[in-house]
Amino acid sequence: MARLDQFESVFRAADKPVYAYKHVEIAKILVVTDLPGPEVAEFRSRLQSFLSVLSDDTGAGPHWVDLGVEAFRSIEELLELVESEGPDLVCTYRNLFTRAWARPHSLGDYVDVLTQIASCPILVAPHPKAGREFDHAMKNTDRVMAITDHLTGDDRLVNYAVRFTLPGGTLFLSHVEDEAQFERYIATISKIPSIDTDDAKGVILEQLLKEPRDYVGSCRDILAAQEISIDTRGIVMLGHHLREYKRLIVEHEVDLLVLNTKDEDQLAMHGLAYPLAVELREIPLLML
Amino acid sequence: MVAIGTLQEAASAVPLAVTLLFFGLLVLLVTLLALEEQLRAKKSVIAGVFAIGCLLLGEALEILPPGTVTIGGESIDLPVYIPAIDWNVLAIIMGSSLFVDIISKSGLFTWIAIVLTKKSRGDPVALLVYYGVMTVVFSAVLNNVTAMIIVGSLTVVSLKRLGRDDLLLGFLLIEGFLTNVGGLLTLISSVPNIIVGTAADISFLTFFLKAGPYVLVAMIASLWLGGRLFGIERLTTDEERDTARNLVDGFDENDSIESSWAFWLGAVMLVLFIVAIATASVTPYIRELGMGYVAMGFGIIMLVRYKSVADKFYQAIDWDLLGFFAGLFVVLNVMEHAAVLELAGGGLARIVALGETVGSALLLVTAALASSVTDNIPIAAMLAKILSGHPEIGGDPASPFWWAVIFGANLGGNLTPIGSASTLVAITIIHKHGLAISFGGFVKKALPFAALQIVLATVYMLAVLR
Repeated sequence: MARLDQFESVFRAADKPVYAYKHVEIAKILVVTDLPGPEVAEFRSRLQSFLSVLSDDTGAGPHWVDLGVEAFRSIEELLELVESEGPDLVCTYRNLFTRAWARPHSLGDYVDVLTQIASCPILVAPHPKAGREFDHAMKNTDRVMAITDHLTGDDRLVNYAVRFTLPGGTLFLSHVEDEAQFERYIATISKIPSIDTDDAKGVILEQLLKEPRDYVGSCRDILAAQEISIDTRGIVMLGHHLREYKRLIVEHEVDLLVLNTKDEDQLAMHGLAYPLAVELREIPLLML
Repeated sequence: MVAIGTLQEAASAVPLAVTLLFFGLLVLLVTLLALEEQLRAKKSVIAGVFAIGCLLLGEALEILPPGTVTIGGESIDLPVYIPAIDWNVLAIIMGSSLFVDIISKSGLFTWIAIVLTKKSRGDPVALLVYYGVMTVVFSAVLNNVTAMIIVGSLTVVSLKRLGRDDLLLGFLLIEGFLTNVGGLLTLISSVPNIIVGTAADISFLTFFLKAGPYVLVAMIASLWLGGRLFGIERLTTDEERDTARNLVDGFDENDSIESSWAFWLGAVMLVLFIVAIATASVTPYIRELGMGYVAMGFGIIMLVRYKSVADKFYQAIDWDLLGFFAGLFVVLNVMEHAAVLELAGGGLARIVALGETVGSALLLVTAALASSVTDNIPIAAMLAKILSGHPEIGGDPASPFWWAVIFGANLGGNLTPIGSASTLVAITIIHKHGLAISFGGFVKKALPFAALQIVLATVYMLAVLR
């Protein structure tokens, strides 16, 4: 019944996830730092300027709550505060209460736990004392990039990225298929006589990249229909995740990176998110 | 004109024991074809083995005439199995399957299927009606197996998309039953039609005009019955309707269209193909060359579009069906010379003697019952051969007995899961998606549909076609 499978494939390919736009409400933002009082206000002020997109035309914006070095002494206390405040967004930076921020090898206990337990997204800004951020970083969000290895159907990721993109700005929806994994499958296929390796490589790659491209097209159409004035561009490719994202951030002068961090199957951070979050220290990351 | 010996002379010279021996072989062939799945043997292999066996036995028993073919007054010596095969029928099947396969690549049929899915807005009743009509039309224009594959696979994808897996069994069974109704619409819609239609010399247009009203009525009745028996109901709330519409809106009808040029070429060529086949019996030059020429001609013209990969389309031709035909025609030819058809014709003569009313009705039901347990092609081929030798029916294309065989051979396939290739495809899809249905379970669900369709056909034949 090869023909049956052929037609099922044709119809499955034609069945494409359509992007559903939903406005993301950000009414309350919690700023979590290990800074003394005045420096917290200064950090918050920079964040307010950076996230001006969250304020409306009249200047009215979300309610900001500062947590400085005196507000909590442990992860448990911080989690209790986050739960009691119930923010829509937590803004912080990596390696709270340690000097590990000087080395690009970890996020620190607080951010690790926050990203996995807090129900709201965590915005991880470059460390205020590190001095590593790009010149264009922390100014505004007119160039936002959503990154994933499975873009198709990820409406939540796109909706957050849309919410944080300044009107008139550019939203990059990027999907990088892991080249090493792909080559490993093709190497296996090359050992199966009944499958033509070149044919398989061509059609599998074409289909892998077609789906996210179609989804980007759907996002573009729906956002245009919603009269949201941002330029939506798709970047869909095969490559090495970390290398490609680093290159894309520099090439497109990205101001904010939006990525998923939760994984339904595990308690630890999503496989792609952790190495990216550790190494991409020059711009803010919005971790969902 | 082709003459293959003189049947009467050959028949009168055959001893009864030889006739009974070959009759036994014919019964065995039909039995083995019914057990095709259990034997895990392709039809072409079964028929091929019987063909070579019958030929050898026929030669040894000296019942086969010399294979002399007379064309335009010139005699050519050919092995008896060459003129035994109806090459026109083979050309129609081969040409049209090649043509249909190439047209499928243009994305035309999938485009139609997805557009109708979106038009239904995901409402189960609308979906059933659209898919039902599509099954009938595709069965008529393509063939019932391809129609079941296209509509069945879309049904699976769309019902799963809508989260209505509970309706899958009902939809697939109704579509399976409708393929055999759609297969009645035109002369080339099913193999029994081609065999009986060409034997009776019924033109394409006459066939369509006579069968069309029945197909319409049977389709509506089957959809109504299916909706009731399988509890397929309309969506009731606005929320349900909105959700369903959004889900089917995700289908992209243009996804499988490789180029708009190929798409439109496919659409235009399909229309031309239908017109050419429909007018083949009255078009000068084409009339002499026959429908096989038209089918092969369109198949080859479409191959020009894909000339560099033409060999890929040869793989799509149903060689098993063609091989089966070749073998079957040879077996039937030997049976003719062994006077087996005369013997079987004696039984049929008793049915014919009952008159056009009772006789044709009985023949329809008999053909349907026989087709429900074995392949309808040998049944149709054998009955067509016997009827064409009947002094009154043979020369009368309007005789209801021809229609009795056509209706019976097509509709009988709906009684059991092995009755027709398209219901077998439906069962394959059902099993593939983890739904259980036994032989008995199928018969239980199929019986109301088959009974309704056969009763309607009998009434229609007696009231309209007589």
